Amino acid sequence: MNKFQYFLEYYNGEPLIIQLVWMVSCFLFLTVIILIIYLKFLRVRLRENEKITEKYTKDYELLLITYLYAETDENGVSLERQSVINELEKGIENTFKRKIIVATFLKLGNEITGEMAESIHHLYSQTKLKKYALSKLKNRNWYIIARGIRELTLFHVKDAHDQVVKHVNHSRREVRKEVQLYLVNLFHFEGLNFLDDLQTPLSEWDQIQLLEELQKMEDQQIPDISLWLKSTNKYVVIFALKLAEIYNQFGMKDVLIELISHKDKKVRLELIPVLSHLHVIEAKEIFKNNFNESSKDEQIEFFKLLENLIEPSDEPFIIEHIYNENFEVKYSALKLLKVLNTTKFENLELTPPESDFVKIVEFIKNY
Amino acid sequence: MNKKKIVLAEDNSTLSLLLKFRLEKEGYELLMAVDGKQAIELIEEHNPDLILTDIMMPYISGLEVISHVRNKLDLKVPIIVFSAAGQEEMVLKAFNLGANDFMGKPFSPNELVIRVKRLLN
Amino acid sequence: MDTSTINIILLIFHYLFFIYTVSVIISYIVLAFFSIVETLEYQKKNRFVNYKEILSSSISPSISIIAPAYNESLNIIENVRSLLSNHYANYDVIIVNDGSKDDSLEKLIKSYSLVKVDYLVNEQIPTKPLREGIFKSTNPAFEKLIVVDKENGGKSDALNMGLNLSESQYTACIDVDCLLLEDALQKMIKPFLELTEVQVIATGGVIRIANACTIKDGKLLDVDMPKSMLERAQILEYIRSFLLGRMAWSRLNGLLVISGAFGMFDKKIAIEIGGYDTNTVGEDMEIIVRMRRHMEEEKRKYKVAYIPDPLCWTEAPDNYKIFTSQRNRWTRGTIEVLRKHRKIALNPKYKSLGLVSFPFWFIFERMAPIIEVVGIIYFCVLMYLKALRWDYAFVFFISAYLFTVVFSLVAILSEEQTYHQYKKKGTGIKLIITSLIEPFIFHPFVLYAAIRGNFDYIFNKKKKWGVMTRKGLSKKEAV
Repeated sequence: MNKFQYFLEYYNGEPLIIQLVWMVSCFLFLTVIILIIYLKFLRVRLRENEKITEKYTKDYELLLITYLYAETDENGVSLERQSVINELEKGIENTFKRKIIVATFLKLGNEITGEMAESIHHLYSQTKLKKYALSKLKNRNWYIIARGIRELTLFHVKDAHDQVVKHVNHSRREVRKEVQLYLVNLFHFEGLNFLDDLQTPLSEWDQIQLLEELQKMEDQQIPDISLWLKSTNKYVVIFALKLAEIYNQFGMKDVLIELISHKDKKVRLELIPVLSHLHVIEAKEIFKNNFNESSKDEQIEFFKLLENLIEPSDEPFIIEHIYNENFEVKYSALKLLKVLNTTKFENLELTPPESDFVKIVEFIKNY
Repeated sequence: MNKKKIVLAEDNSTLSLLLKFRLEKEGYELLMAVDGKQAIELIEEHNPDLILTDIMMPYISGLEVISHVRNKLDLKVPIIVFSAAGQEEMVLKAFNLGANDFMGKPFSPNELVIRVKRLLN
Repeated sequence: MDTSTINIILLIFHYLFFIYTVSVIISYIVLAFFSIVETLEYQKKNRFVNYKEILSSSISPSISIIAPAYNESLNIIENVRSLLSNHYANYDVIIVNDGSKDDSLEKLIKSYSLVKVDYLVNEQIPTKPLREGIFKSTNPAFEKLIVVDKENGGKSDALNMGLNLSESQYTACIDVDCLLLEDALQKMIKPFLELTEVQVIATGGVIRIANACTIKDGKLLDVDMPKSMLERAQILEYIRSFLLGRMAWSRLNGLLVISGAFGMFDKKIAIEIGGYDTNTVGEDMEIIVRMRRHMEEEKRKYKVAYIPDPLCWTEAPDNYKIFTSQRNRWTRGTIEVLRKHRKIALNPKYKSLGLVSFPFWFIFERMAPIIEVVGIIYFCVLMYLKALRWDYAFVFFISAYLFTVVFSLVAILSEEQTYHQYKKKGTGIKLIITSLIEPFIFHPFVLYAAIRGNFDYIFNKKKKWGVMTRKGLSKKEAV
């Protein structure tokens, strides 16, 4: 007791700043203790959760499989199935268990196709799981909305269309992406209608995901893409270009040629390989005329196009560029020259000896 | 008649449970492994009539299981591998090592049963 | 000097130290705050991402992994195999053998059935010449692999050679002895593809320490805590720096360093700025500073992204000798980079790069060890002058110590809440104990190495060069 009093007297006699540091020290000391206790608690909880999750996963796996193999009448109904549903409904009321149920369904659903996969989707819609997912769409937090939509996509809940589509212009990219994936996954090419009046960007990542989903579809009958190629949203144009390439849209030739003078460089760059792929020979002259005004990247892309669509009449243009200062253009031009006019290529004057030019010619000769 | 034995190595527990039930209904005896190591132990102990194995598994991969069965144990037992999208190269390697058939995930369990029956009859 | 001048000098020092300490503490609190905000956001964003489509898509952009190797013969075969098994559709692996004196090349040729190929190199960045040449495998299973044998020129030079050779849009520069988890490329490419209005110029990855972990075929099977305090302290240090420090800087778009052991770059920009600087030992920091500077000067909107997922695991030094030489090198690297780009400092033209990131690095990273040493000297002078108030010193010391511990504990907490890699029973308590004693037994070595680094930078220029060309890439140096 005396000691404490002694300390108090000492403390009161010190300048304010020292008192402050003492207080900070005590505060930090308490924080350390609290953090250590909390860490211990957190680790124990995490470990327990893991154990419980494992146990519940086993239980729900068995329930799910019992459901899938249950003998049913022609409407897919049976006592056994009903009892599984009742059992599941009990778990669904609890958030923790609900998560495990959804995860278990997905764990299997992602690995199988056919009747069984459909049965899982059916089971999902029959239970309150669907109701919970739909209620997520009304949440204030964007990430909960996104998760809700994702779940509806994974379980093929088509009748949520109207509620999901409300979020198509959501301010968060992540939510918009989930909406788009929902539409394409469930409604295939028809789902792409959202592109008609899309105002927001469509990132490269989103585009890849959408295209991959589309390519998984059995029905590969693609709708008219000319509207999207003419879109004022450059991301939609770029996406449509990819569609044109993948689905060989030869009919889009005229629209594509118009795009050569598009004001956005990225669009023009993406366009050239598509023109090459679809053999739009008419584009060549336009590019040749604008060649010197276009950017380095476009020049390189154009030469790649030429490598694919070369004709003897291109020779004068090629010769103009065998000394182009850009390595890739030069390389491409020399390769093409060898194809078009081997004699001329063989007789090129090899000076100066150490230059890129000579290096490239030698390389092509040995190729 | 003795039941034909199948070793199933798959780390997705739900899927393996589903397949177990399905194949047992068809009258086979299923031996379950969650990784390649267990699979090899089961194969050595029970000498199964068929092996089903996922390619990607912890500890010992499906490829190593195939190689062990064909090269070390020198068994002709038919092997079906499961692979996920993007593992085409792995599938080629699996065939080179001596796999008999493959199923790309996601697959239909019914189709698997048909292939199993074909290989076992 | 009379006593009054001494007193005034002491008083000035007194306040300088006080201000410095308070600003360090405040900056750490601010960083911790931002990192927590960013971590929460990252988790919300990524809980539901499906990487499957990207990994198998043939239209996903191409990536080259560039891995320089210098005398790595011991593990190079397995390391290359692990690099070749990443889950991504469109990538290749360029191993640059930087004039190794061992049998690395022979081993590679034998194991991967390599043959020499004719390869046209567009030498956009000048490098040391090829030695044996460029090799590819005759086995289609290894068609992704390109091995380049060149004359020794150091790590930067080797990376530049890789940049010249790469035909991909993006390059992942890594240390060959790192373990990349199989989903590493998918995760690192995401920021580049995701942002539309801002150009991502580079993505930094997290380095975790693999000592005492079990690894097989590019998979991390078991994470454990090593026995020695040095290794444990480094684990804690990495958690602190990657989960609190860099996470916050990523939030502020102010990252100045991407670990040399694992980073991904937009190749076009990396070449535009001339690749890695071969005249510094801090090439990993230097290239980011130069890329940022370039983007600011061109007034382009850009971002250096950061992926906090534990994707890259490496062995940390397990003895003090290698450890101090590593830290010595880092210190020299930092000094060189800051000196080279000193024009940026406080220059409003470079916006937050010049006004926030750069000064922060100078004051709190570059100067910290020096100020600490001056502090110790000041402490001794006070003791000598018998002007030391032991009770004041004690309370200041205690609060500084407790603050360090709190900061470490917050870092551990953030690790537990996010990735929870140290699952084993007992590892939690080991981490806590480490955070309690690390300031006494680990920090002095860090300080010592940093001071040695400063010393070598000023008085021992030869060493600087010597280390670079002789060692090129030292096995145990990662972050």
